[in-house]
Amino acid sequence: MKDNQTIAISVAEVSKLFRLQKQRTFKELLPALFGGQKAVEHFWALQNVNLKIKKGETVGIIGPNGAGKSTLLKLMAGVTKPTKGKITVNGKIAPLIELGAGFHPELTGRENIFLNGIILGLSKKEVTDRFSEIVDFAELWDFIDQPIKHYSSGMYLRLAFSVAVHTKPDILLIDEILAVGDESFKQKCFKRMDEFKKAGVTIILVSHALGQIQEFCTRAIYLNEHRVIADGGVKEVTEKYLNGGVN
Amino acid sequence: MSMIKLFSQYHELLAQLTSREIKQRYKQSVLGYAWVILNPFFQMLVMAFVYNIIMRVPDLGVPYSIYLYAGLLPWTLFNNSLTGSVNSLVGNAGLLSKIYFPREIFVMSTMLAKMVDFALSCSIFIIFMIYFQIPVTWNILWVIPILLIQHLFTYALSLFLAAANLFYRDIQYLLNLVLLIWMYLTPVIYATEFFPEKYQWIFKLNPMAIIINAYRQVILAGGAPNLKSLGLALLLSLGILTLAYKFFKKVEGLFADVV
Repeated sequence: MKDNQTIAISVAEVSKLFRLQKQRTFKELLPALFGGQKAVEHFWALQNVNLKIKKGETVGIIGPNGAGKSTLLKLMAGVTKPTKGKITVNGKIAPLIELGAGFHPELTGRENIFLNGIILGLSKKEVTDRFSEIVDFAELWDFIDQPIKHYSSGMYLRLAFSVAVHTKPDILLIDEILAVGDESFKQKCFKRMDEFKKAGVTIILVSHALGQIQEFCTRAIYLNEHRVIADGGVKEVTEKYLNGGVN
Repeated sequence: MSMIKLFSQYHELLAQLTSREIKQRYKQSVLGYAWVILNPFFQMLVMAFVYNIIMRVPDLGVPYSIYLYAGLLPWTLFNNSLTGSVNSLVGNAGLLSKIYFPREIFVMSTMLAKMVDFALSCSIFIIFMIYFQIPVTWNILWVIPILLIQHLFTYALSLFLAAANLFYRDIQYLLNLVLLIWMYLTPVIYATEFFPEKYQWIFKLNPMAIIINAYRQVILAGGAPNLKSLGLALLLSLGILTLAYKFFKKVEGLFADVV
């Protein structure tokens, strides 16, 4: 009962096994089966991970490529299920795992705002209410009724980010997306994130930019070889990562 | 039960995905949505020419073109729903691996888009009914439960096909072949009576045969449908749906990993 009020995400003894299915068609599968090859290959993306993330914390997740960072975020977002263990999430999640999920190039900016907003869990009315705020933030009033296939990649990202941050989430999951966009828009995004932080939104950020994490987060988690190596203050953990990263 | 909960929570998402599906399809074509009506219409004209003028079908009580149309339209709905659904998860790989909501929404939105197509393509059929002065009785209201049974049956197969296709892409090619054979084993272009009597038991086990015969019975002949067959089709559909749904939910957690 008490956990519900203070814990945003609890990850208890979670392991994730991936089955790499090498043969995608019968043509590949049948000879492989007769030839005695294994049809699937197994590997553990995460092993025995335990975490409790409190409400209002800003947590940075660091580690080398292939450590399991993105898998952890996907598990938290609920798109994939743990093989072992249990994940409990209290609150509404906005996954900024990849911006513009569900955007369709043939549809206009306006249509895509509604589509993406509703995919991210808003109601139609909520999108209508926030519509001008979203377009203001993205600075795209001039192009809002054009199909987004005519947008530049910067415009596309601005629109996608703007929709995502206007969903009023309790928990924000961010995967490497702040590395994009021009300097002024990046500033704007961080300002927005600061507002979220002040408003008590739990933020989980995966990034290779240690500077970003040191500046922004209150806690860091270092993942390597599918396990949690260190968890604690930003300074200690990033130092440990840098030292560990040498060998 | 879970269906009702799903609808109340996700009906707006379902509407958005359905309208995306409808809008995107004909955005760059000149005739746009008219293709939805024109396609089955021309298909019917060609077939009617072949079977009426060249092959000479015997008298069916109504003009062959409208007899054919009454079977071809629901078959086209069935065919398009399945071929659309089989790709509904694979085609939404981006969404599938990023955001969670119940995955059957993808299948449902594809089917809904095809239902809209079907409703539109029926417009020419209604003009045919008026032109040939086919008498309409109250029995035509049976169309609603028959359509519902067709929908259940299609949904059941769609859930299974969409999930299976994620694991092995052969399913979509296999489906085209199966549908081609299936169409000839269903009284779409011919009447049940034309089929050799000793093989007519096939139709009793084929829900699509029962469904198409029922449509013709209530629309063209103005009679009540064979309730025993229709009940069997309903039971069969519900049975397959239960299994397909269980399978779908069982493998749902793996979708994002294999896509």
